[in-house]
Amino acid sequence: MWRRMTADWGFDHPLLLALLLLAILPFIASAFVRRGIPTLGLAPADGVSRAVSLGLRLAGALAILAIVLGLAGLHRREQVIARQGTGAHLVLLLDRSSSMDNSFADRAPSGDQEAKSVVAKRLLDDFVARRARDRIGVAAFSTSPMPVLPLTDHHEVVRAAIAAIDRPGLAFTDVGRGLALALSSFAEDTDEASRAILLVSDGAALIDRRVQETLRDAVARTPVHLYWLFLRSRGAKGIFEAPPPGENTPQANPERHLHLFFQSLGVPYRAFEATSPQAVEQAIAEIDRQETRPITYVERVPRRDLARLAFAVAAAALALLLLAKLAERSLVRPASATAAAGREPVLRRAA
Amino acid sequence: MRRARLDVLRDWRFWLLAIAGLSLVVALVMPRLTLTRQARDLLLVIDVTGSMNVRDYIEGGEPVSRLATAKRAARALLAELPCQSRLGLAIFTERRSFLLFEPAEVCENFAAMDGAIDTIDWRMAWEGDSYVARGLHSALAIADSLPADLVFLTDGQEAPPLAGGELPAYEGEPGKVTGLLVGVGAAEPSPIPKYNEDGREIGFYAEQDVPQENRSGPPPADAPSRAGWNPRNAPWGGEPATGTEHLSAMREEALRRLAAQTGLGFAALRDPAALSAAVEADTRAHPVEVRVDISGIPAGLALLALTALFGLGALTGRRPERLPA
Repeated sequence: MWRRMTADWGFDHPLLLALLLLAILPFIASAFVRRGIPTLGLAPADGVSRAVSLGLRLAGALAILAIVLGLAGLHRREQVIARQGTGAHLVLLLDRSSSMDNSFADRAPSGDQEAKSVVAKRLLDDFVARRARDRIGVAAFSTSPMPVLPLTDHHEVVRAAIAAIDRPGLAFTDVGRGLALALSSFAEDTDEASRAILLVSDGAALIDRRVQETLRDAVARTPVHLYWLFLRSRGAKGIFEAPPPGENTPQANPERHLHLFFQSLGVPYRAFEATSPQAVEQAIAEIDRQETRPITYVERVPRRDLARLAFAVAAAALALLLLAKLAERSLVRPASATAAAGREPVLRRAA
Repeated sequence: MRRARLDVLRDWRFWLLAIAGLSLVVALVMPRLTLTRQARDLLLVIDVTGSMNVRDYIEGGEPVSRLATAKRAARALLAELPCQSRLGLAIFTERRSFLLFEPAEVCENFAAMDGAIDTIDWRMAWEGDSYVARGLHSALAIADSLPADLVFLTDGQEAPPLAGGELPAYEGEPGKVTGLLVGVGAAEPSPIPKYNEDGREIGFYAEQDVPQENRSGPPPADAPSRAGWNPRNAPWGGEPATGTEHLSAMREEALRRLAAQTGLGFAALRDPAALSAAVEADTRAHPVEVRVDISGIPAGLALLALTALFGLGALTGRRPERLPA
């Protein structure tokens, strides 16, 4: 119960709550002038007076309580509401090798030709913008694998990471260890959501046998959907057509053999061979269509500050006290006003 | 009736109540104040080369590595940056800085950025070399293109050492990018941990494991005086170079020279929590507007008035005044 309370409600300055003790003061002292009366018989105890007396003390205490709560920054915390929608937990595994800086014609980009990394950047940015409900993580690989971002709901930083991919890359393409890294991003992800890895690369390299076994293990533990967007440069060998016998070695055709390896992993896998910016666009649209399984996503209800509400309550309680104070009358009356005064319950304090 | 009202007005209790009430009304109607805060756009570059594994910081009695300390400082800096500041992250190894993500707003993306800094590891380094000066130059180029101010955390260990101790020329315009070069590590040299290809620690680098002298380019002027010198066969002398390059200390003097060359500030990282003060001093702030609720000030005044009212009431004693005549 307490945990639930503290999970939902909070204070910005909890130390100020010590001031709540001040709320005892109205029960010790009064806002009204104490006056002696000759005899208790003048003001016999009656229920209404007692109630008013207690009510005014309570009003004083309430005013102090409410001000302190307001000052301590009472708020309802940001709430997350789980909703059902369509989406996925997605890790973008991006190739940052220097060949990505060339155009699809495998030349330094010139004129209206764009570098592969620029095309990938633009289209991935659109892709992320369309998939508002996904949790997305980013990993990069080149000569070594590099974790970039853990899975996050906040897409601004994901897009900042995508924006960085057209910076000059490094020398090599270590897909295997990059993939192992992407799989490990899901290690702490216990959700039931569909998990996917989108590998964007323009080439491949041999995967070490030991790394291959590690990958098979990791995939068995964390089933994922695997998408490979292969940005095929002109003249590069395709991944779908079997090469002529004699040339069919992993060394000669690393891309084709990576494709075969992915197929042998036993998880849903699709490869897209993109030879032009338009083809990349189609492939991303296809992935966008495929990854639409139900997902529990969280919607945020922003934090609500209750300080003003607390001050309003305090003001109301104080208004009551002020009214009572304005109605306070002295027992000593001028001689001219001898008419019997109406009963002033407020004056019963002395009793 | 008029007389009675005047009585009330003569009572200090009434005035305290009135002050409290008025303050609360002010607290309720007071608009949020628009203040300007000093936000920053930063590019944070962390050196992940091998010498950053040297454990020459002490934390809670345990030695911790320079990289761990640099990461802790970076996370503290991230937590200290006011909202609407933007932070980008890059790593440095070999001879370049490698941008992981461009600057993004820090408050909204705090968890992801904090996680990203936390996962930085020396294993991300793709090459053993550590050309700090070139790495800094490339970081400056990236910072200039973003644009952002640069915070570059390094121990300044050049591996291999600079030829003749000369800094490579800086092609950019010094001072165009403002920022801070942060020296990580202690002033006393410590051995550098050595790892095998599986990433397990297997001891420390010995003297002959690392290049002690940069033997690319022309030989130094004092070479003819070296033992075994031969202009064609042994232009650097006949004996292997000796030195202390296998031990690493924070190269404060070299880093200060580098900072002067590129127009950056320099600060040595002694306390990870103190990085943000140094960053504040050496980077440009741009004012951003934030709306601040200051209704607490009048509400505090109301509380003060009520406390005074009831507190004085309690102190003035419970004895009733004189009986009416």
